[in-house]
Amino acid sequence: MIKKILIANRGEIAVRVAKACREMGIISVALYSDADRNSLHVRVMDEAYHIGASVAAESYLDGDKIIALAKKISADAIHPGYGFLSENSNFIKKCEDAKIIFIGPSSKSVKMMGDKTTARTIMKNHNVPIVPGTTEGIKSYEDAEKISLEIGLPIMLKASAGGGGKGMRRIDKIEDLQKAISSAQNEARKAFGNDTVYIEKFVENPKHIEVQILADKHGNYIHLFERDCSIQRRHQKVVEEAPAPTLTKELRAKVTEAAVNAAKACDYYNAGTIEFLFDQKESFYFLEMNTRLQVEHPVTEAITGVDLVKEQIKIAQGDVLTIKQEDLKIIGHAIECRIYAEDVDSNFAPSTGKILHHSLPSGPGVRVDCGIDILSNISVYYDPMLAKVITFGKNREEAISRMIRALGEYQIAGVTTNIHSFQWILNHPEFTNGSFDNNFLDREFIPLLPGKWKKELDDKYEHVAAILSALLKNKDSKTTAFKRELNHDNQWGKENYD
Amino acid sequence: MTDYIVSINDNKHLLKILSNNSIELNDDNYEVELSQLSNFSYLLKVNNRVYQITTEKFDGQNYTFTIGGFSYNTTVRTSLEEKANEYLQNKAKENGTEIIKSPMPGLIVKILKQVGDNVKTGEPIILLEAMKMENEIRASATGIIKSISTKENSSVEKGEALLEIG
Repeated sequence: MIKKILIANRGEIAVRVAKACREMGIISVALYSDADRNSLHVRVMDEAYHIGASVAAESYLDGDKIIALAKKISADAIHPGYGFLSENSNFIKKCEDAKIIFIGPSSKSVKMMGDKTTARTIMKNHNVPIVPGTTEGIKSYEDAEKISLEIGLPIMLKASAGGGGKGMRRIDKIEDLQKAISSAQNEARKAFGNDTVYIEKFVENPKHIEVQILADKHGNYIHLFERDCSIQRRHQKVVEEAPAPTLTKELRAKVTEAAVNAAKACDYYNAGTIEFLFDQKESFYFLEMNTRLQVEHPVTEAITGVDLVKEQIKIAQGDVLTIKQEDLKIIGHAIECRIYAEDVDSNFAPSTGKILHHSLPSGPGVRVDCGIDILSNISVYYDPMLAKVITFGKNREEAISRMIRALGEYQIAGVTTNIHSFQWILNHPEFTNGSFDNNFLDREFIPLLPGKWKKELDDKYEHVAAILSALLKNKDSKTTAFKRELNHDNQWGKENYD
Repeated sequence: MTDYIVSINDNKHLLKILSNNSIELNDDNYEVELSQLSNFSYLLKVNNRVYQITTEKFDGQNYTFTIGGFSYNTTVRTSLEEKANEYLQNKAKENGTEIIKSPMPGLIVKILKQVGDNVKTGEPIILLEAMKMENEIRASATGIIKSISTKENSSVEKGEALLEIG
């Protein structure tokens, strides 16, 4: 039985895992960097330890330090969350050698799936359809050019160690290939310490649909249906939902079966996600497997009633899965919006600063997983995701209307966020009718930057903003002519205050 | 009584404060009541509806508000300030220099141009790395690079001036 878990992460996911620990009576332990001294994840756990400098390499990515800490404090397990060390097979191997339970799959499975070219080979051998392309990294420019022309442009370059859009390039013209290979390799080397880049055919206007699976250490495999994560900008997911609005029963049966086969192909246990691309003709291809908990796991929890983190912990300590496939039903519809600290109209530039005011939405069908609170510092060191708002309804329409309502209740000051832009997405006909694909935002939204997208919204408050501006200015002018900059940490619009 | 001009999303609103509780906006009259909840939050009653508004940025002219999930960047000027501003803008256009500022905090990976080089609008001039992604900063004007105020491998804040095109 696991008694004490070191949560080797930060932000909302560390908070999320701590909640499961608390409910299970397990001691939760936080670690934090210099920048995270006052962060929310430190405040909600049973114990907290300083681990190192703000730069992730010296704190959340320093596996040796983390394992040493786990031993010192007698933690019997490490939960990696997502990102950081979660898919680092060397780190998992070190946990295994140190007899610390890693709450996730074996280092072997992660190694197989973490290398995208190996994963493609395994899937191909197990009859899981893969996107046409290479199952090996690019060896020379001549080879790359030959293969690209063979499978036909456009193609994608992808980092074999990749994820999150890093080291990824779309090639439309063969002249661009050489330059793109070196910049993709460069980015991949920096992000992952591995510059292997491979070629995939570019699937036109696909949907991104992924299947959640759970497997125990005794050979039992189940799936928890799918999520549609096609609302992305530049390969960064923004809105996710479950179930996929356009998937037919027949295709659901096929893709979930393929997902379970994919998990079996790498002797998988714990929670995992198999990502697929669906083309416009309803063929689907294996994209990659994420060998960890996903950011968007709450939508699956909402539509199945399963607490995935608790299942992860139970599987890790060797329990047999108690959920049977036939017991699982889709009980409603759920949507997640990722709240980022970013200035949408400045080309999504990350926004840094201190949170000065924070009030979360609540009420029927609303869940917020959040990693920040008043006075949290949003720094350049980590991912700019602040929180996830998840709404659940008896059907998609209800989930959407709840989301629009909930986002209207979300109040935050101190950083610029993308909250307003969801009003555009959630009200767009392509979103409401479900016909959107992965390129929806890049095609429809990006051209409306900066600011033009606001004109497409039914604006209910512009007159209120105008009135408040004038009243505040009038009030200021009656007292003294003075400047107020309330948030000295905020770099946003710094040039205006010189 | 002062007249204010409020600019929001390229719209200009003319606003007159008639008394403590009444204003005229674009020729319509409204009853208003304002109370401050905290440094960052106001309640504004407009006729019969109360709005809770999150505020953040003030410098006597520019404001940022969030109302019901909508964000607004507003600029408010007295009619006199508005005229002065138009004059200054026209003058800047005649001078014709453009300062390229960093759109985000990050690290300068590469500067692709040198002082004296010709650049065209849209041409990449600097590679900036932020959150492990490389971003191209492009020229927002056509001209000659007059000065460069940053160097490779230095970190920059958002809004920091990087170079000047003239």
